[in-house]
Amino acid sequence: MNAVPFKLISPIEIVFEGEAELVIVVTTEGEEGVLPQHAPLLAALRPGVLRANVRRESTTQRLELATGAGFIQALPDRITVLVDEAFRFEDVDIAKTREELAQAQAAQDRTTAEFAQAKLRLTGHSN
Amino acid sequence: MASVRELRDRIRSLKNTQQITKAMKQVAAAKIRRAEIARKRALPYAQTLAEMLRDLVAAVSVVDHPFMKAGKGTPPGVILMAADKGLAGAFNSNVTRMGEMYAHEHSGTRFYSVGIKARNAVRRMGIPDHPNWALNAPKLETARAVAARVTQDFTEGTIGEIVLVSSKLVSMMSQRPQTRSLVPIVADELRTSAGERSGPRGAVEFLPSPEFVLSALLPKYLEFTLYSAMLETDASFFAAQLIAMSNATDNANKAIDELTIQMNNARQAAITKELLEIVAGAEALSG
Repeated sequence: MNAVPFKLISPIEIVFEGEAELVIVVTTEGEEGVLPQHAPLLAALRPGVLRANVRRESTTQRLELATGAGFIQALPDRITVLVDEAFRFEDVDIAKTREELAQAQAAQDRTTAEFAQAKLRLTGHSN
Repeated sequence: MASVRELRDRIRSLKNTQQITKAMKQVAAAKIRRAEIARKRALPYAQTLAEMLRDLVAAVSVVDHPFMKAGKGTPPGVILMAADKGLAGAFNSNVTRMGEMYAHEHSGTRFYSVGIKARNAVRRMGIPDHPNWALNAPKLETARAVAARVTQDFTEGTIGEIVLVSSKLVSMMSQRPQTRSLVPIVADELRTSAGERSGPRGAVEFLPSPEFVLSALLPKYLEFTLYSAMLETDASFFAAQLIAMSNATDNANKAIDELTIQMNNARQAAITKELLEIVAGAEALSG
């Protein structure tokens, strides 16, 4: 299968640079698969999962990442994806992330409760 | 002439100071390296973003986005960017002076400051309350917060222009403050630079629409320009500090040399004087 240079770039680093046979991204309109020789395309991406078949030492490997919002630029001879953040599936510590999520959720609940209470105390004191 | 003991004390205190400046010089050198790496890592994103923006502006004939239009009759908003710390020669005051000059020329300028020294400078101008952020080791979240704030004020019409005053790293030996207008973005400038760079690419398909992609891209562009400026200010600061501390170490060396010569002279004078007294005393006894 054909392959084209593919780059996945986040503000702090080049997450992936190599050859790709297929790149699947989640655009604001839905999933979009991009093959080599694609007509020029520029699309906005929403947070989602980016999948790509990338070539590594003449074998094809699957690359899967959770990515933030961004953009994809496809040209016949290269594919470039810009994202706010990107995490490889295998790099995510599931237990630790679950815990962080729970903590963030608890903090958010607390803030919501404080907000509601403060608002209540101000009731009748408006203007 | 100062006594030997006074001179010795002064030399000792100078040596202490010199050790501090030497250590700070080494720290600055290490931090420059870190700042430069961060800058290099951010470069690919910046280049691709600029390229996409050029493609877009070339494709969209009439650009209808708040960022493309100047607010009329409203004062400009200045983002003043300096370091958190001092001890870097005239680095911070050079930047803040440029911000102050801008405010003199444009009445009613509203300030946003990044970096503690920038915040203090704006306060000294008599504006105690203004949005401010610390620079720290530049983080994207800070740039996002700054961008969100100025964008809000711009779209609400509080400010009619977004201007950035920050430090440009010309080379390791030279940092210069510069003033740049970030918003409104001039579409024609982008178009002309697009022509030079890549030429016509043929029809580019935009998903979902050119306008939508543009309205998503412009805020990113502002965010990232601010982030790059923060990284550059950070690198400039350490470069300036390296030079300042290296000069301070050299000056201390010179002063130590001078004082050492003075001290040796004073000690020799004291010895000579004592010898003369002994000889005179002996001669008086024998005579």
